[in-house]
Amino acid sequence: MKIKSSLKLKFSALALFVGLFFSFNLFTASPAHAEYGDVVINNFSEEAGMRPVVFPHWFHRARFRCKVCHADLGFKFEAGGNEIDMLKIIDGEYCGACHNGEIAWAVENCNLCHSGTPDTPTQVHGSTVQQLVSNDKKPEQK
Amino acid sequence: MKSIKLLTALIVALFTYNASAADVANGKKVADISCVACHKAGVMGAPKIGDKADWQKRMEKGLVGVEKNALNGLNSMPAKGGNPTLSDNDIKDAIAYFLDSAGVRAAANASKAKAKPKAKPAPTPVVKAVVKTVKKPKKSKVMNFNRLMKPPSEWNPPPFEDGIHDPDGEGAYMLQPPRELFTNLEKSSSGNRVDWVKTLNNGLIAPRWDKADDTKQPFVMDLNIVREVKGSMPNVVYPHKQHTQWLDCSNCHPDIFIPKKGANQISMAAILMGEKCGVCHGKVAFPVSDCRKCHSQNKKKPLVASRK
Repeated sequence: MKIKSSLKLKFSALALFVGLFFSFNLFTASPAHAEYGDVVINNFSEEAGMRPVVFPHWFHRARFRCKVCHADLGFKFEAGGNEIDMLKIIDGEYCGACHNGEIAWAVENCNLCHSGTPDTPTQVHGSTVQQLVSNDKKPEQK
Repeated sequence: MKSIKLLTALIVALFTYNASAADVANGKKVADISCVACHKAGVMGAPKIGDKADWQKRMEKGLVGVEKNALNGLNSMPAKGGNPTLSDNDIKDAIAYFLDSAGVRAAANASKAKAKPKAKPAPTPVVKAVVKTVKKPKKSKVMNFNRLMKPPSEWNPPPFEDGIHDPDGEGAYMLQPPRELFTNLEKSSSGNRVDWVKTLNNGLIAPRWDKADDTKQPFVMDLNIVREVKGSMPNVVYPHKQHTQWLDCSNCHPDIFIPKKGANQISMAAILMGEKCGVCHGKVAFPVSDCRKCHSQNKKKPLVASRK
């Protein structure tokens, strides 16, 4: 009888373990992450009632060398450091140098740039600096 | 003896309970990541989650038909919802979840019976899904103990799933998903999971050197600068070549680096804080976790005084 009871204990422990294992695995979903180098710019957007801008570095670097924007167009190497507003863009500065309907689509496609999740602060998404010092580490978990 | 039998029955019951829960629960998990973008709002005629009429209509073809369309794609529905990393069973689980949430489960079996003469007399898919989901957690969650490590299925998510694009805005659905571009590019284990330098050198992309003139070419300077490192790491070899393929001299000189040997103090601390190399590396160019891409030259072995 003693043997049986210890067997029973083992069985129930095993059953509990197996049950826990499965149910635990089912509900551990990991959060999604944006592309390395994606820049969120929220200098003026949300104040003006628009979604923040998401600039996809990956998309642009496959089509233009860094030099085009960072030397020719004068983009500083700093997220949000260029103080870009729609006036400058329409005047052909910064994004507006290409996003004018000639080289790339024009400014009437508001939602293509202003596509960020509300309340996302200006950042280089996934950057080392963001991971080390920013307190806005996980913008997707509000 | 009786108690052991009872226990075995309990374990079996537990298994089947968990398994049937896995069916729909895993489906919900898959759907929340890969399907909601269209099926939540009913984008481009997609059957909405929880809409009984929508799903009833789809189920007229039978479950096998619905699964086939989900796996292979139909009209605006891409194969596997546009996420090829999902397994067939993930898709079947997701369908089970959709049907369950729309309350079409019972009707599904009935209409499946009707549709069966046309389809192959295969074992009921519901049972198949149940059997396989029991094994799945072990396989797909290998790296879950490390929250910083992501399985390849989570790399390069489309904009509406990436956490910084607003899934309620239309932009998130109109922008190009990274995977669409990256599938043909050279792979890397970090950053965008793309080796951009290799990709450029192999001619897989042809980024312009001038915003309008696609005939202009960079003046590439092939000069390596070796920086001797004090610690135990190998010396750093800085290649001008790969940098001048992308950048202009004025991007780095003289603001970030004074163009004179020995004039620049560089430390990993500064780089990690976004200075010096860290102006790009760790933000856009390959991250600082790829130590050996820079620290690539082995030091000469220290001279050990020998007797002879």
